Amino acid sequence: MSGNGIVIEGLQKRYGSGDTLVDALKGVDMQVAPAEVVGLVGPSGSGKSTLLKCLGAVIEPSAGRMRLGEQIIYDGGWKIRDLRALRRDKIGFVFQAPYLIPFLDVVDNVALLPMLAGERNGAARKRAMELLEALDVAHRAKAMPAQLSGGEQQRVAIARALVNHPPVILADEPTAPLDSQRALAVIAILNDMARQYETAIIIVTHDEKIIPTFKRIYHIRDGRTHEEAGEGKSPRELIKTDKA
Amino acid sequence: MKFKAINKKMLRLLAVLVPLLLLFFYVALRSGPLASVPVTVVAVEKRAITPVLSGIGTLEARYTYRIGSVSSGRVKQLSVDVGDLVKAGQVVGEIDPVDLDEHLGAQRSAIKRAEAGILSAEAQLRDAKAKQAFTASQEKRYRSLLQASAVSAELMETKHQEAEAASAVASGAQAGINAARQELASVKAGYQGMVKQRHNLLLVAPTDGLVTSRDAEPGNTVLAGQTVIEMIDPQSLWVAVRFDQLQSGGLKAALPAEVRLRSQSGKSFAAAVLRIEPLADRVTEETLAKVVFTVLPEPLPPVGELCEVSVQLSLLQSVAVVPNACVHRVDGQLGVWVVDGSALRFAPVRIGATDQAGNIQVLEGLKSGDRVVVYSKSALHAGSRITIIRNNGKGTLL
Amino acid sequence: MISLAGRDILHGWVRFLMTGFGLGLLIGVTLSMAGIYRGMVDDANVLIDNSGADLWVVQQGTLGPYAEPSSLYDDSYRSILGMAGVARAANVTYLTMQVRHGGGDVRAMVVGVVPGGPGEPGQPGFLVAGRHLTGGRYEAVADVKAGCALGDTIIIRRNRFRVVGLTRRMVSSGGDPMLFIPLKDAQEAQFLKDNDMLLQQRRRTALNPLFNRPGVPGLLDAVIASQTTSVFVNAVLVQLKPGYCPEAVAKDIQRWQRLQVYTQSQMRTILVDKLIATSAKQIGMFLVILSIVSAAIVAFIIYTMTMAKIREIAVLKLIGTRNRVIASMILQQAVGLGAIGFVVGKIAATLWSPFFPRYVLLEPGDAIRGFIIVMVISVLASILAITAALKVDPAEAIGG
Repeated sequence: MSGNGIVIEGLQKRYGSGDTLVDALKGVDMQVAPAEVVGLVGPSGSGKSTLLKCLGAVIEPSAGRMRLGEQIIYDGGWKIRDLRALRRDKIGFVFQAPYLIPFLDVVDNVALLPMLAGERNGAARKRAMELLEALDVAHRAKAMPAQLSGGEQQRVAIARALVNHPPVILADEPTAPLDSQRALAVIAILNDMARQYETAIIIVTHDEKIIPTFKRIYHIRDGRTHEEAGEGKSPRELIKTDKA
Repeated sequence: MKFKAINKKMLRLLAVLVPLLLLFFYVALRSGPLASVPVTVVAVEKRAITPVLSGIGTLEARYTYRIGSVSSGRVKQLSVDVGDLVKAGQVVGEIDPVDLDEHLGAQRSAIKRAEAGILSAEAQLRDAKAKQAFTASQEKRYRSLLQASAVSAELMETKHQEAEAASAVASGAQAGINAARQELASVKAGYQGMVKQRHNLLLVAPTDGLVTSRDAEPGNTVLAGQTVIEMIDPQSLWVAVRFDQLQSGGLKAALPAEVRLRSQSGKSFAAAVLRIEPLADRVTEETLAKVVFTVLPEPLPPVGELCEVSVQLSLLQSVAVVPNACVHRVDGQLGVWVVDGSALRFAPVRIGATDQAGNIQVLEGLKSGDRVVVYSKSALHAGSRITIIRNNGKGTLL
Repeated sequence: MISLAGRDILHGWVRFLMTGFGLGLLIGVTLSMAGIYRGMVDDANVLIDNSGADLWVVQQGTLGPYAEPSSLYDDSYRSILGMAGVARAANVTYLTMQVRHGGGDVRAMVVGVVPGGPGEPGQPGFLVAGRHLTGGRYEAVADVKAGCALGDTIIIRRNRFRVVGLTRRMVSSGGDPMLFIPLKDAQEAQFLKDNDMLLQQRRRTALNPLFNRPGVPGLLDAVIASQTTSVFVNAVLVQLKPGYCPEAVAKDIQRWQRLQVYTQSQMRTILVDKLIATSAKQIGMFLVILSIVSAAIVAFIIYTMTMAKIREIAVLKLIGTRNRVIASMILQQAVGLGAIGFVVGKIAATLWSPFFPRYVLLEPGDAIRGFIIVMVISVLASILAITAALKVDPAEAIGG
C-alpha cells in the first residue's frame, strides 16, 4: 500500500513467561487507508486493547511489522526513536471518556497539543478554533470541561485528537457512554473528519448502534483478526430513522 | 486576544495574593532589626529648677521626760495612765516609802534630842561662865591680897589655876554649845534630806504634758533610776528625718518642707527644717535632720509614725534642663541622644542637680533648642534608624 | 506555551490558597517556636546587657546573684570603689516575688538600685514613659510587662510604691518583668520579715531570759532593735574605667576583698548554660521535632496534591507531553505553594508573637533559613512526586 494509512503485518504480543504466558496477539494483519473509517470488533479479552496500545506506540509488540504512512514504526523492534513525538504528532487518541484536562478551557485543551509541539499560542488557538467550529462546539470555546455536556466533551476530545492533523486516529469505544443519537453523531463527525483531513481511523467498539455504519469491519478473536464487509450505512440517515 | 480578556479567577486570586505580599513586606520592614525605633523628642530649654530632697522620718517628741524614783522601792500607786494630760508639778504616782516614814520620825526625835542637847550645853555654859567669873574675881582678890602679902603665893597659884580651869571649862562649854548646834544642824540637814527623799518617792510631772508610757504597775519593784512614767510635751513634736547623703547637698536650716504622714498619705503638712544634726549615720550613709511643723496636725498623730518629708532646696540658677529619661551611659560616658535632622548623635554631657519631677540640669554639652530623645521603644545605638512620634500629651510612648 | 502550573492553580485557586494558608500556619508555628527559643536566650542576655555592669561582685562561693542567692554587706562597695580600674560601683538587690497591683498579683523581679541617677549600674537603660527614680522613697520604675500605668500603686510587702516611670525589655531570665525601687526599700522588702514574723520574733526575744533581764532595763529594746536592721545586698555592680581589663580587675577584687567576681562572659555562661539551659534545651528539642514534622507535612501535602492529578498526568503523557513539561508543572506548583506558605507563616508569626506571655524574638536569619528550608523541602517533595507521576503508565488511560 502506498501513501498514508495504517499497515499491520503479523503483529504478535506475548505477556509474561513460563506458567503465566499469555499470547494476547497471535498474528494480526490490518490495513486502513487514508480517509477510511474501519471498525474493530471483538469480545473482551480478545486483544482489542492490546492491539490499540501497540498501534499507539504505547506498548512494544513482540513481533511483526507496523507502518504508519510511509514510516515503518516497528519491525521486530521500534524503528522510531521519539515515541512521544510520534504519539503527539502522528496519532490521535479518542477514548471512552473524553479525558480533557480539567484546568484548561476547551480551546486550550485542543490547542495544547500544537503548543507542546512548539507552535505559537495564537496560531495554535486559531487552529483549535477551526476544529471546534467544524465540530460545532466553538460556542463553548471558553468554557471549562466540567461545564460541558458529555457529548460536547466528546466532541472536544475528537477535536483534540485531530488538531495536529495526524494521519491516524485510534478511537477506543468512543460511543460507549452515549445514547444512540449522540453515538451516531460522533460517528458522523469522525467520518467527516476522516474525509476532510484524509485521516485513517480505527474505531474499537461493540456498540450495536454504530456497527452498521462501517464499510469494513475487522473481527478479532483470540488474538487473530479477520476482515468482514460492513453495511456502510450513513450515520446521519440512521439518526433520522432513529428519530422516526 | 486571550491576554486582554480579564479572567475573573485571576482577579480573585490576585485580590488575595497582592495584599498578602504587601502585608509581608510591611511585616518584614516594620518588625525585627530592619524596623526603625519609635522615639519621642523634646527641645532643651533653660530653666531654674528647685531640687527637692526626700527622706523618711519618724514623728518624735522633742523632749521626752522619763519619770522614775531615785531609790529602789515598790510602786505604791499611779494616778495617771497613758493618754492623760498632766500639769507641771502634778503628782502622777508614788513609790512605797516602806520604813522611810519611821526613819523620818526617828530623825525628828533626833532633832529634838539635838535641840535638848543645845539647851543642856547652854546650861553648862552658864554654869561654867559663872564659875569662871567667880574664880576670876577670886583670882583678882587673891592677887591684890598677894600684893598685900596677905596670902601665900601658893594660894595665889591655886586660885590662879582655878581661874584657869574655870576658863577652860567655860571654853569647853562654849565648844559644847557649838558642837550641839552643829549636831542640830546636821540632824536637821539629815532630816531635810530624808524629807526630800520622801518627796522624791512622789513622782511629779516636771512640765505640762501628755503621758505616753506607763512602764510599771502598783506593786512592781523598781530599781533606782528605772522609768515608771514617760511623758512628752505634745506641742514639741518634730520629725526626725534621714536623708540619703548622695542627694543632701544644699540642705540647710530654715528651708521649707512638706511632711506626709503615713496614715494620711493624701494630705501634706507645711513644715521647715529646724537643724541638721552634726553627727550623720555612718553605717546607713544618711544625714539626719529635724523638721518642725508650721502648724501641728490636728488630731495629734501618734509618736513614732512614719513620715515622708520633702525639703525644697534653694532655687538653682537657670541652665539647660532635660527630663532625666534622656540621660544614658554609653561606653562609660554619660550623655544624651541628640537628633540632628533625622540623624542620631550621642552627645556627652555633664549633669547637675535633679528636681523631684525628674528634670535634670545639663551643665555642659547641650544648648537650648537642641532636640534630644526622651523615650524610645528599644535601646538606641549610633546607627539606629528612628521614627519620631509626637508626644501624646501624657508624655509616654505607649 | 501556556503555563500548565498556572492554569491548574487558577482552576482550583481557592483550594490552592487554603492549602497554602494551612501550610503557612504550620510554618508560622515553627517560626514562632524558633522565636520562643531565641526569646528565652535573649531574656538571659538582656538581663546581663541591661544591668550596665562590667563585673558582678557577689558572695564568695556562690553563683549569684541570678543563679543562686548571695548576700554581701552593703558597705562592701566602698572598698571595691577604691580598687584600681573601678569607675563606679553600686549596690543592687534582686528578689523575684509576687507584688500586688490593681486587684491582683503580678510576679516580678524587684530590683533595688541606688538612686544615684541615670547611667548608674543597675538602673534601667531607657524609658518609654515617665522618669527615673529621683531619690524619693517608695517610688518605682516598672517594666511594661507588669501591666502598670504611670501613677499606679504597687504594694510590695508592707509598703505602697508609686509608679513614676515605665521601661521595656527589662526582664529577668525567667521572663518576669523588673520593678526598680530604691535600694533601702528593696533591702527592707528582702531582708526584713513581715509584721507577723517581727511580732513573733519580738515575743521570742522577750521570753528569752538572756535578753530580758530586769536589772538591765534597756537590753531587750537594744536586742530587738539590732534584729531589725538590714545591712545586706545581693551584689555590687561594677563599671570599669576605660582601658582596664575586666579579668584583671576581677582577679584583684576577688583576691583582696575575698568576694566572688564574675565578668560579663562568665555571667553569660552561668545564665545561658546553667540557669536557662534546661528550659532552652526543652524548647530546642521541641523546635527540632516541630521542624521535622512540618517538613514532613509540607512534603506530604505536595506529594498528595500531585498524586491527585495522576489521571491528568497520564493523559498529558499519553497525548505526548514531554516529561520535562510535566515535571516543571509540578515543581512550579510546589514552589508556589511553599512560597505562599512561607509568606503566610512569617506574617502570622509576626502578628501573633506580641501576644505571647514571654518575649518571642523572630530573627531575620531564622526567617531566611526557614525560607530556604521550605523551598528545599518543596523541591524535594515535588521531585518525589514527579518521579511517582512519571512512572505512571499512560496505558492506564486506555481502558482494558
